[in-house]
Amino acid sequence: MSNFFPLKVIELENTTKDSVVVSFDVSQDLYETFDYKPGQYLTLRFNVKGEEVRRSYSLCSSPMLEEPLRIGVKRVKDGLVSNHINDQLKVGDTVNVMPPDGRFFVDIAKENYKTYYLFAAGSGITPILSILKSVLYTEEHSFVHMLFGNRNEESIMFKEELKKLQKAYPDRLLLKHTLSRPKSEWSDLWTSKKEKRHRKGRVDAACVKWFINEFPPYAQNAEYYICGPGTMIENTKKALQENDVPDNRIFTESFGTATTDDGSKGFDNARLVASLDGEIVKATIPEGKTLLRTLIEAGKEPPYSCEGGVCATCICKLKKGKVHMKNNLALDDKEVSQGYILSCQSVPLTPEVEIAYE
Amino acid sequence: MNMDKQQNWMHELPVAAYTSKEWFDMEMKHIFSKTWQFAGLVEDVPNPGDFISVQAGLNNIFIVKGRDHRLRAFHNMCRHRGTQLLRAVGKGKKAITCPYHDWTYDLEGKLISLPKQEEEFPELKKPLHECGLNLHEASVDIFKGMLFVHPDKDAPSIMDFFGSVVPYLGPHIVEELVEFQEKEGEPFYAKEINANWKIIVENYIDHYHLAHLHEGTLNMYDHAKAEFGWEGSHYWFYEPLVPDYLADVKNAAPYPLIDSVPMEKIGAYVPWLFPNIGITEGESTWSTFHAIPLTPDRTLVVIRTKVMNLSEWEFTKQYTKSAMSKVWQHYGNRGKYEGDASDPMASGDFMAEDVYACEQQQKSLQSPMFSVGAQAQRGEFAVAQFQRVVKEWIEKGKAHE
Repeated sequence: MSNFFPLKVIELENTTKDSVVVSFDVSQDLYETFDYKPGQYLTLRFNVKGEEVRRSYSLCSSPMLEEPLRIGVKRVKDGLVSNHINDQLKVGDTVNVMPPDGRFFVDIAKENYKTYYLFAAGSGITPILSILKSVLYTEEHSFVHMLFGNRNEESIMFKEELKKLQKAYPDRLLLKHTLSRPKSEWSDLWTSKKEKRHRKGRVDAACVKWFINEFPPYAQNAEYYICGPGTMIENTKKALQENDVPDNRIFTESFGTATTDDGSKGFDNARLVASLDGEIVKATIPEGKTLLRTLIEAGKEPPYSCEGGVCATCICKLKKGKVHMKNNLALDDKEVSQGYILSCQSVPLTPEVEIAYE
Repeated sequence: MNMDKQQNWMHELPVAAYTSKEWFDMEMKHIFSKTWQFAGLVEDVPNPGDFISVQAGLNNIFIVKGRDHRLRAFHNMCRHRGTQLLRAVGKGKKAITCPYHDWTYDLEGKLISLPKQEEEFPELKKPLHECGLNLHEASVDIFKGMLFVHPDKDAPSIMDFFGSVVPYLGPHIVEELVEFQEKEGEPFYAKEINANWKIIVENYIDHYHLAHLHEGTLNMYDHAKAEFGWEGSHYWFYEPLVPDYLADVKNAAPYPLIDSVPMEKIGAYVPWLFPNIGITEGESTWSTFHAIPLTPDRTLVVIRTKVMNLSEWEFTKQYTKSAMSKVWQHYGNRGKYEGDASDPMASGDFMAEDVYACEQQQKSLQSPMFSVGAQAQRGEFAVAQFQRVVKEWIEKGKAHE
């Protein structure tokens, strides 16, 4: 089920003060296993302070280029794993890694003629960078219009790499930065507003509207990719919808600690019946535990990776009872109405819950 | 098709292909309704809510811009009883309502309302946009500053169709140019010509005639140095200016030079994009040449011309410089025959010369004695190749029927 492979760290590079890019070596026999589409992520397993933890990180490398698998990891305040990676990881270390996965990706094809709108904020740049490089490198007729939000100049991940791409593809890449708290410089005093390299503010409704009005698509098959923390995704998506962008052209990947939990506690000591790998598992769900954690503690191996309600690896179907999902950033309304749930986010609302992993 | 073995022939096609309703209908079905069709210039649909509708072969298609500035294309007929939804050009649409029974669609083509739904259509129980009554989608895209539509919503990408000819097009950045209109809203040239659309295409791509029919009108271009060929279904052509004109082009050009064309690339780029749109990319003008078949022996030609986006004063200055240039004493405006300017062959106007030649050829197709006698192997190579491409599309279409 959970197939982890030991991969060796071959390079560590700080792209900002509080983030590191980790490169992994993939031996020839694992090339196919670790093949990926731009936008997908890796799941890493660590033992930190005696606890097994998994975290998913988007690949920022491009499968179209001859470059190692690369993830960008930004420190999260009090984050167990992100700080471990930033502080402890050394070149030569081996990390247990699951093959690439994820539903947020672009199908690159040489003959495509598209306009890609990429919206990134903070470390949300990682999958976006992979998409950006892959499109520019492979789809010679396609255009990229990208809006990248950060706190200030110093917190922009991959700043140099982005500059190089702008130079290499001036006709097909349009990149605008927006900074929520730019550091003022003396030179700003005699720089006219027009000449400023960035816009001030967050990636919010006004900014998104400005961006799509200012930079209309040339190739008319336009797609919109959004990745960032917390409410940035919802705000961007809503702004796009309000400007007539149809849902089937919008793709999102949520990051970090966003939680929409309303504090529902759930039903204590509910009975769980789960059909998993052809086995019927019965267990009692301890107070506050998710369906997924209940199964893991019962010694079972249900599929999962991010445990944050983002990746949908732990998807299963609810056959009986009701659950509350603390955070759902992966399933759309249609899937939910068909009874699909994220087991890593679900707590029971009824005395009995029956689920099936398909 | 006329199966008579005695039938007369053009190079690769029977004469009937230029005169019969049967061939015309086949072309409408298998060529004009299955290819990307020219629909205008990007500036024709400038703002969200603006739309245009165009006839593309058998299909009437409208293009509308959303607030996301992306264009959408739909077949211009109500899903109720087929009434045309939108007329030629318009602005500010937020929804599309059929004039007949007020069925209303949003800008994604989804049916959103209809009068007396519960009483008259009790069978429509699902949300309206799930009732299979949304507008039929079409495709729209932009290529070199031009709008194109395709009746199939899953049409192959426009770059699949035109991509291979791109390297042979002029370096002109069309979006920077503005349309030259003597009267606002009217194209530079529009005329119904009494000839089959293919006669007009063949004239456009015929290198052999340039030095002869147009000996006094297009002689500022160096026909001897012309380069041309085919890529996919499309024809490309380039020829430089004659040395005298090139030496004084900054003064002699009738309009300000197009600044996206570097001096070393200056010349006439004159491709023909299959099936019916030519581009004439010159030193001071950039034009589309749209041949719209009306009947087997009538074709509407619409030419739209773009020039540099400069003040009227700049154009006046250039006009004066051009008028004073010695170049035009030897080139560009002398008719083939002596005579009154109303005679196309004495007019000194190359379009009038072409129209004359096309209409005269079409007339002769009626003659039982007519047949193409011989083919210039280089100069008319493109004419025969174009006919082969037409034949291929027809045969491919019929095979899939």
